Amino acid sequence: MSIMQYNGSAIVAMAGKGCVAIAADKRLGQRALTVDTEFQKVFPITDRTYIGLPGLATDVKTLYDRFRMRVNLYKHNEERTIEPKTFSHLVSHMLYERRFGPYFVEPVVAGLDKNDEPYICGMDLIGCINFAKDFIVGGTASDNLYGMCESLWEPELGPEDLFETISQALLNAVDRDALSGWGAVVHIITPEGVITRDLKGRMD
Amino acid sequence: MAPLTEPSAGFKFDNVKRNQLLGDKGYKLPTATKTGTTIVGLIFKDGLILGADTRATAGPIVADKNCEKIHYLAPNMYCCGAGTAADTEFTTNMISSQLALHSLNTGREVRVVAAMTMLKQYLYKYHGHVGAALVLGGYDVTGPHLFTIYPHGSTDKLPYVTMGSGSLAAMSVFESRWRPGMSREEGIEVVKDAIEAGIFNDLGSGSNVDVCVITKGNAEYLRNYSTPNERVQKEQSYRFTPGTTEFYAPRVARQAQEPAEMDTSA
Amino acid sequence: MAALRAGEANLGTTIMAVEFDGGVVVGADSRTTTGSYIANRVTDKLTKVHEHIYCCRSGSAADTQAVADVVKYHLDMYSAQHGEAPTVKVAASLFQEICYQNKNNLSAGIIVAGWDARDGASVYNIPLGGSLHRETFAIGGSGSTYIYGYCDKVFRTGMSRDECVEFVKNSVSLAMTRDGSSGGVIRLAVITKAGVERIFVPGNMLPSQYLG
Repeated sequence: MSIMQYNGSAIVAMAGKGCVAIAADKRLGQRALTVDTEFQKVFPITDRTYIGLPGLATDVKTLYDRFRMRVNLYKHNEERTIEPKTFSHLVSHMLYERRFGPYFVEPVVAGLDKNDEPYICGMDLIGCINFAKDFIVGGTASDNLYGMCESLWEPELGPEDLFETISQALLNAVDRDALSGWGAVVHIITPEGVITRDLKGRMD
Repeated sequence: MAPLTEPSAGFKFDNVKRNQLLGDKGYKLPTATKTGTTIVGLIFKDGLILGADTRATAGPIVADKNCEKIHYLAPNMYCCGAGTAADTEFTTNMISSQLALHSLNTGREVRVVAAMTMLKQYLYKYHGHVGAALVLGGYDVTGPHLFTIYPHGSTDKLPYVTMGSGSLAAMSVFESRWRPGMSREEGIEVVKDAIEAGIFNDLGSGSNVDVCVITKGNAEYLRNYSTPNERVQKEQSYRFTPGTTEFYAPRVARQAQEPAEMDTSA
Repeated sequence: MAALRAGEANLGTTIMAVEFDGGVVVGADSRTTTGSYIANRVTDKLTKVHEHIYCCRSGSAADTQAVADVVKYHLDMYSAQHGEAPTVKVAASLFQEICYQNKNNLSAGIIVAGWDARDGASVYNIPLGGSLHRETFAIGGSGSTYIYGYCDKVFRTGMSRDECVEFVKNSVSLAMTRDGSSGGVIRLAVITKAGVERIFVPGNMLPSQYLG
């Protein structure tokens, strides 16, 4: 078993028309044992940039704290909120700093930039950025998510359509992954604000 | 937790022991994204041409279908990267910044050998643990130069080169088609065909062809010069009718849950 | 002594140097391999480290290039500070120092040869452990094992320049055909007081020999 599968997770981000969505399951396990069904894996960084951290739960929490510190420092130094692209590079550099002793996470970033343009990207555990126009997946269900997204995603989806697409992609992916699932949360980020919905899913 | 300070330079090794322990317990440590690549370069009459495919892989999964493997180093220099994706990205970026400072300090355009030496000395220092296999090309005051740089820090200077998992397929095209003094059009065609040989015959390479033509005083980056694997339009839509997905009493349309943060207005 | 690491470019080589009255002839094949793939078929393994001093590199390409670059730097500093060219012995000693002190981390077998005003022509061999031997002729690399007998039989002291060139050509050519890690073309350099003359023997112009 890989250390990336120890706690189990499934995270997906999608770009839509003037909006982005990021969704995650809520399971925290220790191998096959489920410990928590309300575990947070997606975190707000600004009011329009979110980060999902699939991988080893201890690193998820450690890294979120470090990101928060660095984003607050950025706000102090620059006197502005960080853009999703800038934040992604910050994350990327923090991961590559530990090139020879990495944190076991594959971050997924989703946000709207200052021109309300969608921005989504993913990273491997040492910070190689994967910039995508369509969708980014991560976690133990990532193979399943690739299959779901590759068929369900289409360009120019509005907030409500994007919600249905990302929810169905996630829900159906985690149903075929034993290590993730047990509820899910979706954030739809629009210029007007963020819509957060807790999905009804299988609890097995 | 450490005090609030800006980060220090260089690699950190504080996770190494923990990760080794995890590894010893039998947990398989994950591998980073690799670019099982085809990258090439050749010299032609007026300069040189670099080429690359655009597939990034994580094991058997295609991680990125259209990534950029031709990295900018300086206005007169570009560099193709194969191997560990993060290493090629960060190594070329770091050398690029050093080259910019070097040219500012000297007031001259940087020579390709300078970039080559900096790259090989950096990679040699890390004994191949920084897994960057590079094709470096540039045009300076002494003319066009093309180098290959291996992860262990050895270099070769040749008129036509290939690297990555698709290098054998690409080299077979070069060995049969390259000749001295080719025109720009011929050169681009041979580079395109070499990359396509990699795309179609090597599983680690795929998608599109990126090309970069560097001549005296000019560098032209032709992103997605050839797209032989364009996806066809889907014939049916899987769009769901709104209301398909059930969700709990909505935490709807509220302002973002900002992290507890300081008031910076004062 | 460090073995070659996986994926490392290797100079599985045939290299050679012969002393004659007034100069040296150095020669090498041109094959660089990564596993069974020929990464470079026209490599120049004869590396200039000073005006009249060359080294022939065998072993890891990365290690030998790094060592040669360091020695070249020191020799350039030496001539700038002393106002005269370093002797071949100085160059060879520098190579030996680096190869011996880092013997556990290097895989480098180097032959240093050249001409200087104090000792005339000289050839030094620095095999894997980092020892230093002055020899009238030296062979090295994986291909050399096939030609020890031939070289001992054919070599005579007091050969002329042209005889030495033929001797190196024939020896390297024989090694190239028997050793899978050696091949390509033969590159030669004749170093005398007058300067350096480079000779190139293409793969289809190798000396004739029995090919089975």
